[in-house]
Amino acid sequence: MGKYEGDPEWDDVVPIPQDDGEGALAQIAYTDEYAEAMGYLRAVMAAKEHSERVLDLTEHIISMNAAHYTVWLYRASTIFALNADVEQELSWVNDVALDNQKNYQIWHHRQLLVDHLYPSISSDPNAIRKFAESEVDFMTQMFDEDAKNYHVWSYRQYLVRKLNLFTEAELKSIETLLRIDVRNNSAWSHRFYVVFSDPKYSTPGSHATEYDPKIPDEIIDREIEFSKAATFEAPQNQSPWNYLRGVLRKGGRKLSSQECFAGEFVKIPENGEEDIRSSHALDFLADVWAEEGKVEKADEALRLLGDKYDRIRKNYWDWRRGTLKEEGITKGLAKVELAH
Amino acid sequence: MTFVVKGQKDRHRVVFKRRAMASLGARGASSSASNLVDSALHGNTRLQPSSAEASAQAGDEVVDSIFRPPIFPTMSARTARASMVPDLFTSLPPIRDLLNTQSSQIQEETIQECLPFLSGLEPGATYNDHGVPHLERNRHIQFLHKSLKKLPAPYVAADASRPWMFYWALAGLSTLGEDISQYREPLISTVRPIQNATGGFGGGNGQMSHLAPTYGIVLALAIVGGEEALDLIDRRAMWKWLAALKQPDGGFQVCVGGEEDIRGAYCAAVIITLLDLPVELPRDSPAWSGEGATLLTGLAEWVRRCQTFEGGFSGLPDAEAHGAYAFCALACLCILGDPHVMIPKYIDVPRLISWLSARQYAPEAGFSGRTNKLVDGCYSHWVGGCWPILEACLDGPSRILAVGASPRAATHSVGSLYSREGLIRYILCCCQDRTKRGGLRDKPSHSSDSYHTCYVLAGLSSAQHKWHFNTAETKTEMGGNLASPYQWTCEPFDGEVQIYNEEDRVGTLHPVFVIPEGAAEQTRAYFASKGGF
Ligand SMILES: [Zn+2]
Repeated sequence: MGKYEGDPEWDDVVPIPQDDGEGALAQIAYTDEYAEAMGYLRAVMAAKEHSERVLDLTEHIISMNAAHYTVWLYRASTIFALNADVEQELSWVNDVALDNQKNYQIWHHRQLLVDHLYPSISSDPNAIRKFAESEVDFMTQMFDEDAKNYHVWSYRQYLVRKLNLFTEAELKSIETLLRIDVRNNSAWSHRFYVVFSDPKYSTPGSHATEYDPKIPDEIIDREIEFSKAATFEAPQNQSPWNYLRGVLRKGGRKLSSQECFAGEFVKIPENGEEDIRSSHALDFLADVWAEEGKVEKADEALRLLGDKYDRIRKNYWDWRRGTLKEEGITKGLAKVELAH
Repeated sequence: MTFVVKGQKDRHRVVFKRRAMASLGARGASSSASNLVDSALHGNTRLQPSSAEASAQAGDEVVDSIFRPPIFPTMSARTARASMVPDLFTSLPPIRDLLNTQSSQIQEETIQECLPFLSGLEPGATYNDHGVPHLERNRHIQFLHKSLKKLPAPYVAADASRPWMFYWALAGLSTLGEDISQYREPLISTVRPIQNATGGFGGGNGQMSHLAPTYGIVLALAIVGGEEALDLIDRRAMWKWLAALKQPDGGFQVCVGGEEDIRGAYCAAVIITLLDLPVELPRDSPAWSGEGATLLTGLAEWVRRCQTFEGGFSGLPDAEAHGAYAFCALACLCILGDPHVMIPKYIDVPRLISWLSARQYAPEAGFSGRTNKLVDGCYSHWVGGCWPILEACLDGPSRILAVGASPRAATHSVGSLYSREGLIRYILCCCQDRTKRGGLRDKPSHSSDSYHTCYVLAGLSSAQHKWHFNTAETKTEMGGNLASPYQWTCEPFDGEVQIYNEEDRVGTLHPVFVIPEGAAEQTRAYFASKGGF
């Protein structure tokens, strides 16, 4: 006899068996325990029942299959219908999340819980701070397992937005992760969000790839220095190079403003062998030189990338060389037109 | 090492310390029930329960052999084979930093894992003149057939994403040239109880409708085709349900009360166009407005919000650029309009191309999904599938001058923007489980599964072909909303030395819908001919 079938508390419920269709494809041979629990879930969902025992039932199913979005959503609606203790739910969800590192649904569930909890703490800065700290502590535990977990990072961005965590503490916490692994691109990406979406100074709705005239110069300077410092640690690490380009774009500054810096990693003498310590620096300089109209130098940098330092991307570098010439021709034509 | 970060305000110090990283050991190869499928898109990377079948164990032996000291062939045989392979694929990258972190350590381990396969040194394998092994077509076909049979209990983790398996298997089998008509009847009876009266399909009977399984099922039905299969879809209810998912900011939730992300945007666009649904919104939609907002209002703008400072796309605004989402973004825009119009209009193309191109590493030669992450076979499609779309965007349209005539190649084709040879080498050398088990995989240390089998084959297909986007002189053939995605044609790619044997060429998959060429056109034409619901 099954767990629910023999339980007087569930006497009143007639489970609904799963209709798999005839000769179903990729049919899963469920354990009796799972099949029975799902039968009861279908029944309570059909009756739109939201009760304590539904919480027990959904917890049981999640312990067997945490990747079941229907169960999670029904559990959330039950919690809200019962006005159950959200903080208690959060701590239970912590355990489930630690056991199911790659799970998607948990993080959406968590967002629903926080959305529900927020109005009750929103007027108390202390409560918000405490809550934020405990959430960050939990995420730190998750990052110990996988510091690039996409779902955790997406939740982090949500939390920053929700609780207005555009703070020094948030930046510090990112730096801690970058100190452990300066190649953690998820941390770089989060930093970009926290710095450039700060409602204290950014333009609302400004796209990540566009100039935002409202960002103060000192923020741009600080972030340039931040990415440079990290680049010196490991010049072939692409993350801070991408970050630097992103910062310059936000600040509306030319790439050529960082020509000297990129030049630290690239020596191309008139005669003799060049010394390249970062292909990303060479890529950066190619753009700098194109920006300055030094087409031949830019072309040579791109040739070196395709022939020697990043050969797998040769087609890409050649395409860039082609656009360089096209731009050159267009500029040339423009000059001719002006002359007439 | 300490760096002082200068700045007038907000001054603080940044300290980067060198650290010895703990060995990661078996992490990459581990497989446990808790790791089983959960996300809808990149779900079952470790779907195969290790002890479930004897064939799975055979697969594990191959995996083990990579970590044991390999027994290499004799020196002369070794150099002979290695000499067939360009040194780009057999040697370490020319620039490497000394600083050791977790990211660089697992990257190093991955290179070491792949090198013997890329160098033509896999014991027992036979290679062609280019040092490339054959496509184990029959074994992969058998693997996919098996994935549609009854599955053991540990697959319970896939209980909410099972419809994906229908699509992965049918798309994969078609790509391999297998006749899939035997699955028409069973597919129809399998998906019928999964459809909800309120519109859309769930992960299984009695589950809430969700865009990911709905996308998988609609595509699977389009692949098998036929009136009975297509008529099974309740289009009116589907339209009502999509309207309930449409958000005022332009995007789509994946299920009612669920998250809003770029998978939702792409899946919804695919469903609307294939089923030729009306785009008007009913009054009870959360996105309904007095000003005539439709299912498509603000969708391209919402997609644009997902382009990150790196140039790639995130799953939702403000997150990290990720390969799977780049494909969703581009394919979605190519449903909303012509690639050469929509893509430059809504996104920063040079930054996107730069980021995408940086996903290909040497010597592994396959694609990674994010900056400083590892190569993985499924990005052969998620990243690889972006190239035909971008190449078409840069080429501009080809013109069909007469019905039936082959499209005239654009005069200034950009050619390939990535290394097709590299991708094909990674796929054929590293992604195949060449034991009796068959199937394709993330990388040599991982087990094959139907998700990777489907998307690795899709990547192989796009690397072997060249796609054109055509503008007909008159657009009468496919009128109505969202007609752009039905103007693609393709031919075998012949721009460079072919490193694989001709018999290893696979079928063609539509660059936007990722189903066999022709299936999308037929599906759309069928529903368009019905007119209304
Ligand atoms: Zn993968």
